[in-house]
Amino acid sequence: MELISGYVLPCLYAFLACIGFCFLFNIHGIGMFICAGGAGLGWLCYLLTAPLVGSDIIQAFLAALVISAWSEIMARLRRCPVTSYLLVALFPLVPGGGIYYTMEHAVSGEVDLFLSTLLHTLGLAGALAVGALLVASFVRLFQKRREHRS
Amino acid sequence: MELDYNKLLSLTAEMGLCLMESGAETYRVEESMHRLLSAYGVAGEVFAIPNCIIATLTSPERRPLTQIRRVPAHGTDIDQLERYNDLCRRLCREAPELDAALEQVAQIGRERRSYPLYIRLAGYFLGCGMFSLFYGGTLRDGLCGGVCGVAIGLCLALTGAFGANLFFKTVAGAAVSALTALLLTAAGLGQSLDKIIIGALMALVPGIAITNAMRDIMAGDMVSGISKGAEALLIGAAIALGTAIALGLAALTAGG
Repeated sequence: MELISGYVLPCLYAFLACIGFCFLFNIHGIGMFICAGGAGLGWLCYLLTAPLVGSDIIQAFLAALVISAWSEIMARLRRCPVTSYLLVALFPLVPGGGIYYTMEHAVSGEVDLFLSTLLHTLGLAGALAVGALLVASFVRLFQKRREHRS
Repeated sequence: MELDYNKLLSLTAEMGLCLMESGAETYRVEESMHRLLSAYGVAGEVFAIPNCIIATLTSPERRPLTQIRRVPAHGTDIDQLERYNDLCRRLCREAPELDAALEQVAQIGRERRSYPLYIRLAGYFLGCGMFSLFYGGTLRDGLCGGVCGVAIGLCLALTGAFGANLFFKTVAGAAVSALTALLLTAAGLGQSLDKIIIGALMALVPGIAITNAMRDIMAGDMVSGISKGAEALLIGAAIALGTAIALGLAALTAGG
């Protein structure tokens, strides 16, 4: 029971939410399932690494690594731009809650809470960007080398 | 046959414009344009930032030719992006007659397929509702989140039809969704206001914009990175402002 409510349901929600957002970015056909699959996979990674590292910024970083790797592989297989898949799959990791609570603290004038939430949100966004970048840079390095040889 | 350099330049600039308009990364746009030029055996220079594209080459008579395209404000259209990318690969491989190539580029623009409004609204409902559940809301919160998402979708479509800019659109969308959430919670349908609002806001957040901005900066495209980063900050501020307006209004009416 705990397995379902703790792991299966959140990933399923992430999957379905991303299917919904695929319509907004005009993604058709099988691409929708690749995006949403990446999102579900990423969130599973986020949840599974929780007991290991115990810091949500590092969890987000690891999940971003997994999502980017998945997107890069799928983009190579289908000969599509990586953005197609990365764009939607990263959505569950975006600190939407952080943005909202930051704003709420700012409006109610709680400066300390505002600053700490803001820094935490920026940290999460940074972890996301660095994770996605690391994989992208690595792949391009590899690609350049191969082009160089041939 | 003699190569028409003006036409080649038009093709390159048009391809860059189309890619940029459908939301390609800066390096992809520049790389595609470069490849297109070299596919026709011409060495040229290209430069792209999110709202401007420059392509230039020197003709055999040693006359420099340049074309500039101004890229209007645009969203992201993955379907178009994939098709232009496909076409660009094909053009680079086959290097067909320039007129035929230009016609193919124009054809993709004409055959643009997009979801009708009601399907996009269903997408907003599903996406935002599921994110409300995802952030720990109850089933009823999910339903409310979906309704707020539809409100955002309608609001964006409406303000977009009036030609509003991105900042205003985002403020309006965030305010409308927060007001809807407040009403639904007051009516007793929604249970936790914050979960509903956060779920609905996911349709507006500039998550990928931040990532793309960082990516551009790391790749050395400073101007693109900074302008995308500024855009992301602007959207973030707009979301906070819109939500704050709605919550402030509610506090005023409840207090008075």
